[in-house]
Amino acid sequence: MVERASLPIGLWGAMGLLATLLFMQQVGLQWPAASAGPTGLGQVIFFYSVLPRAAVALLAGAALALAGLLLQRILRNPLAEPSTLGISAGAQLAMATATIHAPLLMEYSPGLVAFVGGIAAVALILSLTWRRGLEPVSVVLAGMMVALTANAASAALILANGEYLFSLFIWGGGSLVQQSWYPALTIAWRLVFGFAAAVLLLRPLAILGLDDASARNLGVSLHATRFLIIALAVWMATTVAAEIGIIGFVGLAAPALAALSGARSLKQKLVAAPVIGAILLWLTDGLVQLASGPGGERIPTGAATALLGGPLLLWLLPRLRMFEWPSLAASTSSGRRVSRPWVLVILIGIGALVAAVVGLLVGKGPAGWSIASGTVMTDLAQWRAPRIAVAAAAGGLLGAAGVVIQRVTSNPLASPEVLGVGTGAGAGLAAVLLLAGMPGLAWQLTGSAIGALAVLAAILILGARGNLGPERLLFAGIALNALCSAVLTAVIALGNVQSYVLLRWLSGSTSEAGAVHALVGFAALLVLSTPLLVLGRWLEVLPLGDATARALGLPVRAARTTLVVIAALASAFAAMFVGPLSFIGLIAPHLARLLGLGRARQHLVGSILLGALLMIVSDWLSRMAAFPYQLPVGLFASLLGGPYLIYLLGKGVQRHG
Amino acid sequence: MKPASSDQILYDIESASFIAGGRTILEPLDLELAPARIYGLVGANGSGKTTLIKLLAYQQKPAAGAIRLLGRSIDSYGDRELARCVAYMPQFTPPAESMTVRELVGLGRFPWHGTLGRFSADDAARVEIALSQTDLLVLADRLVDSLSGGERQRAWLAMMLAQDTRCLLLDEPTSALDIAHQVDVLALVRDLSRERGIGVIVVLHDVNMAARYCDEIIALRSGRMVARGTPEEILHPDMLDRIYGIAMGVTPHPVTGAPISYVA
Repeated sequence: MVERASLPIGLWGAMGLLATLLFMQQVGLQWPAASAGPTGLGQVIFFYSVLPRAAVALLAGAALALAGLLLQRILRNPLAEPSTLGISAGAQLAMATATIHAPLLMEYSPGLVAFVGGIAAVALILSLTWRRGLEPVSVVLAGMMVALTANAASAALILANGEYLFSLFIWGGGSLVQQSWYPALTIAWRLVFGFAAAVLLLRPLAILGLDDASARNLGVSLHATRFLIIALAVWMATTVAAEIGIIGFVGLAAPALAALSGARSLKQKLVAAPVIGAILLWLTDGLVQLASGPGGERIPTGAATALLGGPLLLWLLPRLRMFEWPSLAASTSSGRRVSRPWVLVILIGIGALVAAVVGLLVGKGPAGWSIASGTVMTDLAQWRAPRIAVAAAAGGLLGAAGVVIQRVTSNPLASPEVLGVGTGAGAGLAAVLLLAGMPGLAWQLTGSAIGALAVLAAILILGARGNLGPERLLFAGIALNALCSAVLTAVIALGNVQSYVLLRWLSGSTSEAGAVHALVGFAALLVLSTPLLVLGRWLEVLPLGDATARALGLPVRAARTTLVVIAALASAFAAMFVGPLSFIGLIAPHLARLLGLGRARQHLVGSILLGALLMIVSDWLSRMAAFPYQLPVGLFASLLGGPYLIYLLGKGVQRHG
Repeated sequence: MKPASSDQILYDIESASFIAGGRTILEPLDLELAPARIYGLVGANGSGKTTLIKLLAYQQKPAAGAIRLLGRSIDSYGDRELARCVAYMPQFTPPAESMTVRELVGLGRFPWHGTLGRFSADDAARVEIALSQTDLLVLADRLVDSLSGGERQRAWLAMMLAQDTRCLLLDEPTSALDIAHQVDVLALVRDLSRERGIGVIVVLHDVNMAARYCDEIIALRSGRMVARGTPEEILHPDMLDRIYGIAMGVTPHPVTGAPISYVA
């Protein structure tokens, strides 16, 4: 469907003109000062800031568009691009790590560090999804997981090293402010090289757009060419990342928009996509400069592109032509059921209690491992107990939300984290922080809940209107994830007190949890899971699809709305305590099912208890792993959960051959 | 629900039409369907078969016109009330993830016990009856997803039987099955219809299959009903040309003598 030219080429002319006008306005502002004298500061600003900034915007836009086009072609994945494949996040993490542990290397060549990070991220994703034949959904999901985990790790590094690294986060937002021509030149010659290589590889590229078998038939040495082109794309993307930061969505949008504008052949796209990418980024940057006040820019350009790109991706979804891979929907059912499910549920509950007691008593001290008892225990308990309680409540809430979301969308890969509900809660929290400065817990929770609800509602409405299958629903979630992350990045880039609150939230730390949090968490768990248990039959029927549910006389709309509101609230509460990225909402329902809990109510209770258990273990590990430092529990949980997601994806293909 | 008298009209469709995205999918249609008979809906792809059966199942509302079920406008039924009269199987049955056959069939009782009602002994008994009528008792504790295509289709049929309705609406129940299982499923539908006196409206791709198992065939083309009649009336070269738009011939079955169509 994309092949139809639905965007006139004139539009790009108009947008290019608008960008030029914005640039001319900047020139108009700076020129009087620049022309005043040959050696004045105005001239320096004009020649070393205004002009290179425009050049960087154009070049980076083109380079990202070309990288996106190559990746999309080579992976046959219309959603591949540097940010969805975790390349940018990998580069960021590598640079943050290098800044702390190898400052000399960073001094020597930040581009190299970024390239290593980016290529490591891609290598990880490709090796994880190799067994599924690099199927697009798996690749993008793996990319999202790597990106989220890398982001959380970066956030943790920044938190641990304070001001020292804070500039990195501002860099992460992709600011185009320039002080010299060096970045522009660096990007320029990569772009020239990349373009030349792409032109030389035109024929193999065209053939690689077909499926593997046909490509091999036509005599293309698949893997060598593939890896070469991927490395080329990563090189261009990480150069941009190293020079100016993370600019999301240009690599995604430009090739898609080129196709929508009528570029059919690869040759046409090779020209059109970089041009469109350049115009897009230049225009965005122009708008960002226009919006900036005297106190500097409000939002980094990279965050702004994500703000524009997220909705664009959502709009594109129903229009994209995709290779249809065997559906993931039926891929994850477990083959067994236990004969006495409630006994198993009770056992899991006991397991959670034991974990909580161990977490309370066993710990590492300056003198090594010890089991607390007596007065030591009562002293320690007031620190440890609230943390454990909050972690358990959050895990339980995520487990419940995961079961509901998976059953309502009949999608085994859906979860609060994957669908962006967690980051939505973060965006809501950010909004409340911006409006109210330092709001209380109640206001923070309200904001999170509204954000989570908005995201989940948007996804379900999109899913219903665009008739999105399970795969595209996940893409919608990824788009919303990116959108909300952009809001977060923009607010964090402000660099004030609220930024620290959000950064802490992003990394998922429970270290400040108190008795109030524990109480609120458990109250929420109780209040939200009770109606779910009562409405267990809805959860039983809805996975069979709307048609069946309606045919059985279920009030589908009312049921969905009720359940979705409950799931959103549960995710919001959980995200409030442990951040957006734990993946517990994905794993707990699966584990419950793997253990043989199939019916809705058993599945729900089992998942809540497993979520709590996993979270308690993560909390304990996060306290012990780097003692005396405490790592964020959310990060730990995602390190447990991420690989499981990949395992699930890998399993699917074997079942379906 | 009191059983209605057997001579009551099952469906009375009065100039019902359906429009999607500005395109008329189903032209205004008048049709009366009697109870306890098997109707086969045939026609080429995009002829409006699925739309018609979705209208009958109230999965979609007609753009204009009226549909009466057992003498009452279909709008006037409540969700569960309708589900106690009509059971519908969509064209693609979704995966019933980690659900046993008995549990799936048990869901057919939802219209009777509702969200909070108790799953009574009567409910359990009807599930067992449905399982035995579909020959699934041996497989009752297997996971639905571990069954073969034909067995899975039988499990869904059993769920519809447990719903205990006057009418079954089946949208291409045999599309994913090999020929042996197609015969299996359709023979089962026919036997059940005879045994329980249920009306069946079934969308079928294969006009020969329709002729073999249906009492009456309704043919659609481009959203219009182009033919309606007994299998003998429909299986006629002129008729088939009107339905499918290609030249087809008819020959008697070598054993039964019933007409069989073939592409000329």
